[in-house]
Amino acid sequence: MANIKEYARNKEGSNISKIVVDRDLCIGAASCIAVSGETWELDNENKAIVTNAGAGANAVDDATLLMSAESCPTKAILLFDKAGVQVFPK
Amino acid sequence: MEEYKYLIIGGGVAGTTTAETLRQNDKDGSIAIISDESHLFYSRIMLSKPNFFLEKIPFDKIWLKKKEWYEENKIEFLGGEIATKLDGQQKTVELKSGKILKYQKLLLATGGEARPWPLPNADKKGICYVRDLDEAKDLMENVKTAKQAIAVGSGFVSFEMCEMMRLAGLEVTLIMREPYYWYPLLDEESSKMIEEAMIKGGVKILRNNEVCEIIGNENIEGVILKDGTKIDCQLALIGIGLVCNLDWLKEAGVEINKGIVANEYLETNVTDIYTAGDVAEFKDLVLGERIQLGNWVNAQMQGRVAANNMIASNGSTSLTTRKPFRFVSFYTATGFGLNIAMSGDVRVKPEYKIIKRGSPDIHSNDHLDVVGFARIIVDGNDEIIGATFINRTQDMSVINKLIESDFKVSGHKSELADINFDLKQLLPK
Repeated sequence: MANIKEYARNKEGSNISKIVVDRDLCIGAASCIAVSGETWELDNENKAIVTNAGAGANAVDDATLLMSAESCPTKAILLFDKAGVQVFPK
Repeated sequence: MEEYKYLIIGGGVAGTTTAETLRQNDKDGSIAIISDESHLFYSRIMLSKPNFFLEKIPFDKIWLKKKEWYEENKIEFLGGEIATKLDGQQKTVELKSGKILKYQKLLLATGGEARPWPLPNADKKGICYVRDLDEAKDLMENVKTAKQAIAVGSGFVSFEMCEMMRLAGLEVTLIMREPYYWYPLLDEESSKMIEEAMIKGGVKILRNNEVCEIIGNENIEGVILKDGTKIDCQLALIGIGLVCNLDWLKEAGVEINKGIVANEYLETNVTDIYTAGDVAEFKDLVLGERIQLGNWVNAQMQGRVAANNMIASNGSTSLTTRKPFRFVSFYTATGFGLNIAMSGDVRVKPEYKIIKRGSPDIHSNDHLDVVGFARIIVDGNDEIIGATFINRTQDMSVINKLIESDFKVSGHKSELADINFDLKQLLPK
């Protein structure tokens, strides 16, 4: 993957420790924002980024974060657990 | 006769999201999806993206659910089937194949089809639409051989497809009835930005014009416009809107208008029948009126609410309560170096006022990608009700929240107009 952006997540009790956005796949449909505006926003290239310069990675619980990733129509959001295993998309 | 607790007609984003949400909240209830397409759930939104057409995104990325997903979730997928009759009293749906299915709760998420080009000889090869996967495949084949193309219509589809065809090396002429692009949804200033970007990208634009004759034998070879101009083309991309096929519902007593009429709970007038997605003409709580919207995110969000309410109506044993659909709808598109978005109510009405943020001037500004232009639309109550964004999509999340929270603009107009002002400061703490 050439054009990716990674965000560390260190929310207490969370199983997800890294969020990755594949910017080549992201089409700015913003469905992630519709599910979790606390976590996601668009940048000036119309690509999804994590809010508050990455601090938004900890904004919501695992279920909501997963739902925001699942809502992406191009599967541009990838989630990884603490062991580095990709939990979404499977 | 097969009976399902939840029967869903439509296998797109509204129907599939409903099925997924139902399964998350009801582990055992039987679920079936009827789809007129034989394909499993795919990303319809990707069909109009140039990167997909030009194979920069692998084709397989289009599939959003695999066969295993339906099996694991015990969701029966009846592909290539068309519902032809509904009986809301007996709670049955008849399919074209003759099969009759019984339901306890029914969701109508049938979406729409590309509006056909209303001209004689519009069935020639090379006349393409981009509404479903088979149409997109046909377009992909035609793009490979055509040298000259026309695009008809001035909306999201034409915008994205013009870019795709230019990137594929075709000579492209855009023909629109309207005086400017996206009329009447966009203002002339914003439209000019879009047209200039398209022209810079090599698209020839013909305004206030339309095709009156199609030339060719088996394949389209050209068109004649109402002003007599003849244009050679081997490909015509038609993006003139959506139609919903609702005739089969008339006898069932389901109230229909342009779409299927629903309240804010996405319930139709017939008990246990719900609707969601492009076909739903629902009571929008944000705008305070009944509207129909054709976009991915709206359909997805409605699917969740419809599923919730289908379960909630099961009665006292249900874990969930009925909730209304309340959402600031939006749509985004990218092309020709522009990112375009529209949120909420973007209609032009005399009582609406506009706050301009940024600059629409494409020439005097070498840093358009940084500045951009947003129009924040304010109603008679001084509340923001909608906005359009060109290369300012970074403002969309905040503006949507302001629309949702009935934010009053008085005292904040200069802040809203100032691109150096961080709009997040206006959000309720």
